[in-house]
Amino acid sequence: MSARLARAASSLAVIAVLLAAWELAVGYGLLKAYQFPPPSKIARGFAELSLTGFPTGVSLWAHTGVTIWRVLQGYVAAILLAVPLGLLIGALPVLDKLSAPLIVFCRSVATLSLLPLVIVWFGAGELTKVVLIGYGCFWTMLSNVIAGVRYVDPVLVRAARSFGLQGPELYREVVLPAALPRIFAGARMALGVGFMVIVGAEMIGTIQGLGALIMEARTFYRSEITIVGMLVIGLLGFLISSGLAGLERLLMPWASNLDQVRR
Amino acid sequence: MSRAGNVSMREPDATPQAGRSARPPFIRIEAVHKVFAARQGGELKVLDSIDLDIAENEFVSLIGRSGCGKTTLLNIIAGLDAATSGRIAIGDRPVTGPGQGQGVVFQQHALFPWLTALGNVSFGFRKAGLPREERRERTLELLRLVGLEAAANKYPREMSGGMQQRVSIARALALDPQILLMDEPFGALDELTRIELQQELLRIWQARRKTVVFVTHSIDEALTLSDRIVLLAPNPGRIQRIFEVPMPRPRSRTEPAFNALYDEIWSELSS
Repeated sequence: MSARLARAASSLAVIAVLLAAWELAVGYGLLKAYQFPPPSKIARGFAELSLTGFPTGVSLWAHTGVTIWRVLQGYVAAILLAVPLGLLIGALPVLDKLSAPLIVFCRSVATLSLLPLVIVWFGAGELTKVVLIGYGCFWTMLSNVIAGVRYVDPVLVRAARSFGLQGPELYREVVLPAALPRIFAGARMALGVGFMVIVGAEMIGTIQGLGALIMEARTFYRSEITIVGMLVIGLLGFLISSGLAGLERLLMPWASNLDQVRR
Repeated sequence: MSRAGNVSMREPDATPQAGRSARPPFIRIEAVHKVFAARQGGELKVLDSIDLDIAENEFVSLIGRSGCGKTTLLNIIAGLDAATSGRIAIGDRPVTGPGQGQGVVFQQHALFPWLTALGNVSFGFRKAGLPREERRERTLELLRLVGLEAAANKYPREMSGGMQQRVSIARALALDPQILLMDEPFGALDELTRIELQQELLRIWQARRKTVVFVTHSIDEALTLSDRIVLLAPNPGRIQRIFEVPMPRPRSRTEPAFNALYDEIWSELSS
């Protein structure tokens, strides 16, 4: 326990020294403040963002709330579509063979490259952002669901068959639970994709959201605001990912290989 | 756990003819061939005209190098895999699938990881349509049989390899099958656990009167357990020779008869 405390203290010390060095380097003119805003300036930016907001009136919390809501809509829609479709494709090898090239192709298309097209289809409003996030999450989730049910350990299937299980019953009782860890891992990866896409999706047609905040700060050379936005996105991703991991441990206390699938 | 030494051992049968058991056949395997489609087109012969009769309550081991088709033969008896040609019957009924009195114990990691020991064993009862209470009662009885009553609520990942295989055996026994088919069940265990489980298996075999077909790659294990040892040759898999093991149980690895047979099997394997 004390060894853990010491390790935590020493890594905190390393961070503190780095931050101090950064601050001093800007103070002595070795780094330019608009390129590398020092920690003190970032802290002031954070205060401004929380109190008056940037642009004025839109606080950090408003940006964060808007972003979470957009990601959530796209993400939940993607999961709701991808899980049943993936379970269906995974159950039928013919469908899997037919769809595999298409899925790999769609998953590989960088989501943001679709932005112009999606604007043409859905305009520059909320729907476009949600659709882009949904697109990114969907293909990641879909390929993980399919892989989960397709690559169930064959010995588990044989064990179930030795008790006379087959067809839909075999799928429901054995394939599905065996695929759960992979499906959960897919859900976690898809959420990561959602947060990667959001910044780009919020680049146009809005001044609200962490992505919009970052773009707006760029326009005004407010690097410290950009950094605050980055930090909040990183923190959000970390918190939600840990939350999902906790949920997994709660729902699947039996899964031993969670740590390997986690990343 | 009870020790094998406490259990009265069955006398060996009066010397039967090699290849055929003296008693009437219970499992009949006649001219069984198995051909798989090979990866680069063409065919891969896995089993070539296998003829084997196994008597009721007999303990038969299948032994041989990898690629001799011993697991495939086991799967065919289990009804999990179909022979390309030939006949296979249990009693008077041709084998058409699982659930004809075969219980299967697989290699490691065949327990359902999302079920506890209790859940895994009672999985076997799901087709039996028993009331909940009776199902639980019989499950606990089976766990008691393999000495794991205390671990009923443990998940497979919380159990040692030896415990997992005990649960596997209990699960296979759920529907009280006449035949126990075992595919290298102790292959991944450490030496001490393996010896322990071999004794345990012999005890259960005595107590429950099962016919056992046991796939192994260990001559030692086959000699410790079996009435007969079927040596399969690879490419394509075929029966090379069948050995009777006449020594009474429990068998000691230091007996001259044990060692003589060991040498004989080894020289046949390496010929």
